Amino acid sequence: MFSAEILGAWFAAFLTLAIFSYLFDDNPFYKAAEHIFVGVSAGYWAAQAFWAQVQPNLFGRLWPKIAEGTDQTILEKIWYGIYDFMGMIAPSGYFPAGGIEGHDQIRLSYLIPFILGIFMILRLVPKVGWLARWALAYIVGMAAGLRFYGYLNSDVIEQAKAAVVDFSGNWVVILNGIIVIIGTITGLLYFFFSREHKGLLGKASKIGIYFLMISFGASFGFAVMGRISLLIGRFNDLIRFKDAEFSHATYWILGAMIVLLAVWAFQKKDETEKLSA
Amino acid sequence: MQKLLNFIVKLGSVDRRIIFLLVGLSVLIPLIKPLKIPIRPTSQSQAVFDAVSSLPAHSNVLVSFEYGPSTKPEIHPMAIALLRQLFEDGHKVFGMALWPDGVFMSTNALSQVAEKEMHLTYGKDFVNLGYKPGNEAVIKGVASDLRALFTVDTRGNQISDIPMMQGVNNVEDFNLVFSLSAGYPGSKEWVQYATDPHNILMSTGCTSIQVTEILPYVESGQIQGILAGMPGAAEYEKLVGKVGRATGMMAAQSIAHVVIVLFIILGNITYFIQRKQSKKS
Repeated sequence: MFSAEILGAWFAAFLTLAIFSYLFDDNPFYKAAEHIFVGVSAGYWAAQAFWAQVQPNLFGRLWPKIAEGTDQTILEKIWYGIYDFMGMIAPSGYFPAGGIEGHDQIRLSYLIPFILGIFMILRLVPKVGWLARWALAYIVGMAAGLRFYGYLNSDVIEQAKAAVVDFSGNWVVILNGIIVIIGTITGLLYFFFSREHKGLLGKASKIGIYFLMISFGASFGFAVMGRISLLIGRFNDLIRFKDAEFSHATYWILGAMIVLLAVWAFQKKDETEKLSA
Repeated sequence: MQKLLNFIVKLGSVDRRIIFLLVGLSVLIPLIKPLKIPIRPTSQSQAVFDAVSSLPAHSNVLVSFEYGPSTKPEIHPMAIALLRQLFEDGHKVFGMALWPDGVFMSTNALSQVAEKEMHLTYGKDFVNLGYKPGNEAVIKGVASDLRALFTVDTRGNQISDIPMMQGVNNVEDFNLVFSLSAGYPGSKEWVQYATDPHNILMSTGCTSIQVTEILPYVESGQIQGILAGMPGAAEYEKLVGKVGRATGMMAAQSIAHVVIVLFIILGNITYFIQRKQSKKS
């Protein structure tokens, strides 16, 4: 019996092996997997952004569901008339009849993000493309303001406090604290470019480089560890998909891929020889 | 001696595809024929375990799922081990996601541990609030007014109708925030926008690649311990006392690391021999 789960397993095994095939050469299987990944990702994110953000949070607040039999003012009727018009031109389901569920009152302040969103799309129209800068200015300003406090409190003040040497601890704690403070100061001095790195500043910044190199080495080590974990994840799935439960998907796809890659490699070799001749 | 040096140089200039193959085999063989390797918890994993163990009985714990299928091998075993400990200690778990695919992970983990293993009641012992878009804005929303942000859970229940949501209005109503993080938004943002400003206990389990970024927060006490990638997950499984998937995968991880380290040493030896030879000539 060929179920959706088995089909998914075959597809997952194919895409995994297609990506691994890049280790042999840049080949059609790899390119197909790469294109599928980019296309599916873009489609998934677009759908996700609309159905999780734009529709419930923006349209849902501008046109919330109104209870049946509620008396509406003329302005509200005109407002929901616009909504009904959008519902007529959009595919069914985008603007359900009577408004979107989830909120209890109209919030006209959400017209500002709605207009800014339209400004962003206008970037595609060269004559009025400059309007997108307004939206971008809002995003940059909002993000800077939102992040300023977080960074100042957690990354500057708290980290500066933590860098203070605790002389009440045992010798290991004191030594650790001294190493941390030397590393912090010399590391910062390495990025101080207002004076030439000579004399004491030069020596301090050189010590800073060693601390930075140790830090990069640790980051590299952890990155390798992470990549091996991902490889283990893919191998685990391939091992699972080789079972009879999944109609031996891994074996079939691996076999077919090796044969087709061999044919492709020979054809490529012939074409290269013809061209060079 | 010269023959040996030439052999090492030849070995050092081996085709990269052979290196890929050897690394691949070093991962694959231990997965097919599992090996038992000793696992000793580090002080960081122990700190996470101690932070969870020291929670008062029937605490409210917010577990945020910030990972997806691509980082599942590293983070999911941590999630399973953590949930086992939380439920065994009788705490209430509030799941949520800052990543859209985090919902699949939270649903899977809660269903496996809470429903299948421990037969707990949804809405009384655990709840899955689901995903909300907005990154830092969602964290700030949880910090100030959770109910304005989450009106329904993943099963379509109204938040106000869920028994365990009574009296839970913002981050200050949780005894612990646990971030299962694979990137942005994740542990760092929880520290900056919720747990630091409101002085809430926080701990984390993250991908290996994030560890150096998160460690300063751990050293400063802003985060209580850290579960670092797959080894962190395996160590936590040992601490919780139930062997899981991470422990089984650690042999592959360790052997692959040994192979990579050997190639790095070999590459460096070859480099120095070649440099010496070129200086002589």
